Amino acid sequence: MNISIITQYSFIVVAIGTMLLAMATGIVGTISILKGQSLIGDAVGHASLPGIILAFMISGRKSSLILMLGAIVAGIVAFLLIQIISEGSKIEADTAMAVILSAMFGMGMVLKSYIQGNPKYQGASQSGLASYIFGQAAYILREDVYIILTVSIISLALFILFYKEIKVYVFDMVYAYTIGINSRLTSLLIMIITMILIAAGLKAVGAILISSMLITPAVTGLQWSNSYEKVLVIAAVTGAVSAFLGTFISSAVKGFSTGPSIILIMSVIALFSVLFAPRGIVRMLLNIRKMRVGK
Amino acid sequence: MEKVLIHLEDFTMAYTDIPVIWDMDLDIYEGSITAIIGPNGAGKSTLMKGILGLMKPISGKVSIMGKSYKEVYKQIAYIPQTTTVNWNFPTTVIDVVTMGRYAGLGLFKRVNASEKEKALEALKKMKMEDFASRQISELSGGQKQRVFIARAIAQNALIYFMDEPLAGVDKKTENIIIETMREFKKEGKTIIAVHHDLNTLCEYFDHVIMVNKQLIASGRTEETFVKENIDATYGE
Repeated sequence: MNISIITQYSFIVVAIGTMLLAMATGIVGTISILKGQSLIGDAVGHASLPGIILAFMISGRKSSLILMLGAIVAGIVAFLLIQIISEGSKIEADTAMAVILSAMFGMGMVLKSYIQGNPKYQGASQSGLASYIFGQAAYILREDVYIILTVSIISLALFILFYKEIKVYVFDMVYAYTIGINSRLTSLLIMIITMILIAAGLKAVGAILISSMLITPAVTGLQWSNSYEKVLVIAAVTGAVSAFLGTFISSAVKGFSTGPSIILIMSVIALFSVLFAPRGIVRMLLNIRKMRVGK
Repeated sequence: MEKVLIHLEDFTMAYTDIPVIWDMDLDIYEGSITAIIGPNGAGKSTLMKGILGLMKPISGKVSIMGKSYKEVYKQIAYIPQTTTVNWNFPTTVIDVVTMGRYAGLGLFKRVNASEKEKALEALKKMKMEDFASRQISELSGGQKQRVFIARAIAQNALIYFMDEPLAGVDKKTENIIIETMREFKKEGKTIIAVHHDLNTLCEYFDHVIMVNKQLIASGRTEETFVKENIDATYGE
């Protein structure tokens, strides 16, 4: 393992991007979990693939920004479809998500193999499109880091600006209404933040793993504290630390890709927390035992 | 002469095609402690939700201090039956009560020390200050109810709507809640509460609204809560 990697330009670029992204997703992910919508990131992530391929087919270029816009549009389409299905029929939201997720991901895969052998798209280089499926942080360019930077800062700024409203909305919707918080606008805001973060992170982490970025650090945060502020700080810090370590390991060890490395570290921390944190399983079992002994 | 605070006209509400509240004309008076009573399914909670705009009426209108709910919501506190809360949310008692200050703060403003101070005062009124840093989901039913009333106190509203504040609470909590209602009245505030226990009605409430899908009677408790009206409300 080569420690001097840390000072290399390409490492610094990728590390800054993934760390910022993981901080923002960790924070926003707490909302998804507390609202009982942990799957939404998964659905939107998978659904973004056809958007990316279509954006490439239409524009004929592999500009990160254009592909990201494609991902956002596809994400919105998926989100609306899920809403329409779950509200308009007897199908539950999680079932609707599962259906839309696989349908749109399948469509993305079909489109991808269609353009692979198609002479019409030979002119433009397609290499790199696959990185949107599994994530390939090594392909992250300066342009991508700028996008991640911008999106993360916008998301965090919106979250901080509307912190009170988001908090009350997630904690107690009826109370939110009675103090004049517009629940439609708040849920729209949350949706937009989630959507742009997912779209910005796709290239680094991939459509399949991006939802872990939302959920895993947030799960960790929720195990450690009874205060939402502290949960947010813990989620952001574990996100950033995992992103740094994951990026480092993938740069230092041959054959390790960045996205999966980050997710793996996040997951180990989350698993440890679920077991041993103050709100974790071991503490709960000990408490039950203490109560029994006390009797 | 009593001053009308809330006025309902031709008020009809329904979940499906069967009306739950049928053509109500109703006045609620300023500075009163008003109970809404009636059998199960009589539409007591629905009536409250209708007044607050949480559910839209099919017809009719509500005016609160001569205005619509949207214009005066800052003056109104509502304590629902506690089921609407997300109990998994990581938050402490003092944090929940501080949310009572959010309505007055407006967009983008942060919570400062003086807001926390007011929240703590409200918590003291409910005799819950020792629980300030407890996780909300660890409390008993009565304690939870007191926290939500403390949040409403922190809101410093003029009108308090409470949906069964005394249901399932211990005697100590009941006494604290009633004491608070009387204090509110002294401050010129108005309390409207859904109530179940007919034995304590006359002791706790000076006004009563008796409903069973339609309005049976309303007015001062001693004049309104009489055998004829009770039979009409609870009888077959």
